[in-house]
Amino acid sequence: MTDKIDIKNVAKLAALNLTTEEENKLEKDLSMIIDHFAALSEMNLPDEKISIHPLGTPLNLADDEAIIFLSHEEALSNAPESSDGQFVVPPSLD
Amino acid sequence: MNHYKLSISEINKLFKDKKLKPSELYSEVFERAANTESIIHGHLTLFQDENIKKAADADKRYENGTELGILDGIPIAIKDNINIAGYATTCSSQMLSNYISPYDATVITKLKDEGVMFTGKTNLDEFAMGSSTENSAFGPTKNPWDPSRVPGGSSGGSAAVVSAGSAIASLGSDTGGSIRQPASFCGVVGFKPTYGTVSRFGLVAFASSLDQIGPITNNVEDSKILFNSMKGFDPFDATSGKESKTKQPKLKNAKIGIIKELMEDGISEDAKLEVQKVAKLLESQGHEIVEVSLPLTKMSISIYYLIAPAECSANLSRFDGVRYGNRVAGNTSYEMMENTRAEGFGPEVKKRILLGTYALSAGYYDAFYGQALKARAMMKKEFTETYKEVDYLISPTTPSDPFKFGEKSDNQLEMYMSDLCTIPANLVGMPAISIPTGLSSNGLPLSVQIMSPANTDNTLLEFSQKLESVVSFTSLPEIKGDVS
Repeated sequence: MTDKIDIKNVAKLAALNLTTEEENKLEKDLSMIIDHFAALSEMNLPDEKISIHPLGTPLNLADDEAIIFLSHEEALSNAPESSDGQFVVPPSLD
Repeated sequence: MNHYKLSISEINKLFKDKKLKPSELYSEVFERAANTESIIHGHLTLFQDENIKKAADADKRYENGTELGILDGIPIAIKDNINIAGYATTCSSQMLSNYISPYDATVITKLKDEGVMFTGKTNLDEFAMGSSTENSAFGPTKNPWDPSRVPGGSSGGSAAVVSAGSAIASLGSDTGGSIRQPASFCGVVGFKPTYGTVSRFGLVAFASSLDQIGPITNNVEDSKILFNSMKGFDPFDATSGKESKTKQPKLKNAKIGIIKELMEDGISEDAKLEVQKVAKLLESQGHEIVEVSLPLTKMSISIYYLIAPAECSANLSRFDGVRYGNRVAGNTSYEMMENTRAEGFGPEVKKRILLGTYALSAGYYDAFYGQALKARAMMKKEFTETYKEVDYLISPTTPSDPFKFGEKSDNQLEMYMSDLCTIPANLVGMPAISIPTGLSSNGLPLSVQIMSPANTDNTLLEFSQKLESVVSFTSLPEIKGDVS
């Protein structure tokens, strides 16, 4: 059995503002899923070489050169708010 | 005569022989959409008017003998998490309801170069998270075989439109079975290629170590045509692979392993019988059938539901109301971000983001995410060892035939179990195909899944084509309320 999930803290980490109703439902749902993981987390598994690529292939990283893929205008075309060619956001501090 | 169930090569021959024009086929497909979409709701958007000129251009190319290739003039539907420049990519989410893509995904560029015409964008579970399309913010898609049942998911719209005939083929994305499971539920073919063979540039990321774009088609040959038109190295996708020489499985007198763990509890009698029926057919064709055990496949749901949500929580952090998507006001940037995400994401997406955030958080990382990565590596080893003994693996695609709306939505673990048979291929990166082979006791489609080692996609497709011709599944859905 796993620890009780601290839903408020996890929601804070995930930047999700949940209602009390959502918190109650998600806490119950997530606890059920996490309990299901118990068999896996208790398995004694050897330290295998872990790769993020399922085939273990090295990632193809691009050369460190700037390319113009989208114009400035295109990059801003979906912004909820922009001004003078920049994204506009509310202040970072109160 | 209806042409929307013909194969791509048959249509191409009619085009070349001047017995059918691309514009005529396009009209036929849109007429089909007009007759079925109100029942099925497979397309979120239809690109009808804007393609009239493109269809006329394709007509001219065939008249002049300057057609671009076998896909020229073929109407294909695109899952609405793949970008087409100038069109909305909503991912069936309120978060992106106003997003217009400024660029084409690499697969779209490749298909455009071949003269493909797009019918429109198809419905999915929000951000491809689900197995029924019940999680779409724009309403579910219905199964053409029985509208009271789900079409599967997450590529439910893409599977349903091919089944209903409002597209000749479609593209889906498959993270844990999202091409194969809906293809099975709708009685069509679904192919998930080897990880890295088809570029994912322009696909909205869900779980980057698992996501793969692939075709949903009426037959295996069409999947082969589409796969070969889309595959290839793409410098814009860091996980894109270059073709490597790989030992290919045998096409004649092959050894085929039935996965024992995918024929046990949780799999319906109908689904087991279907695999046994196909195994006998394969034996009659000179192949050898053996039972193989891959014990970690029993753990695949747990492994997947730790890795996929962990990657989803990272990938979906980009939806913060700053660069694209909807924004909900807040006094500070952080408050704006929290409000935007609270309103923009639906319940299943929130659940998976939270699950992933939890699995990656301090104190739980090693016990959950780290353990899942180790188990995944062990599972890959199990499959590698098994492929030393057999050429292909076979299993049901889905544990049962299509379920009814609401049947599993209150039992999340049961819903997650519907991907039990398809998840292993994503975890180990191998190609897998779902082929419809018969009907269940409810008269609904059932399929088998064939898998082969990584980078043997074309051999798997060739083998599957031979199986398909022996099985000869010809049933089509009768869409209730279809006025055509």
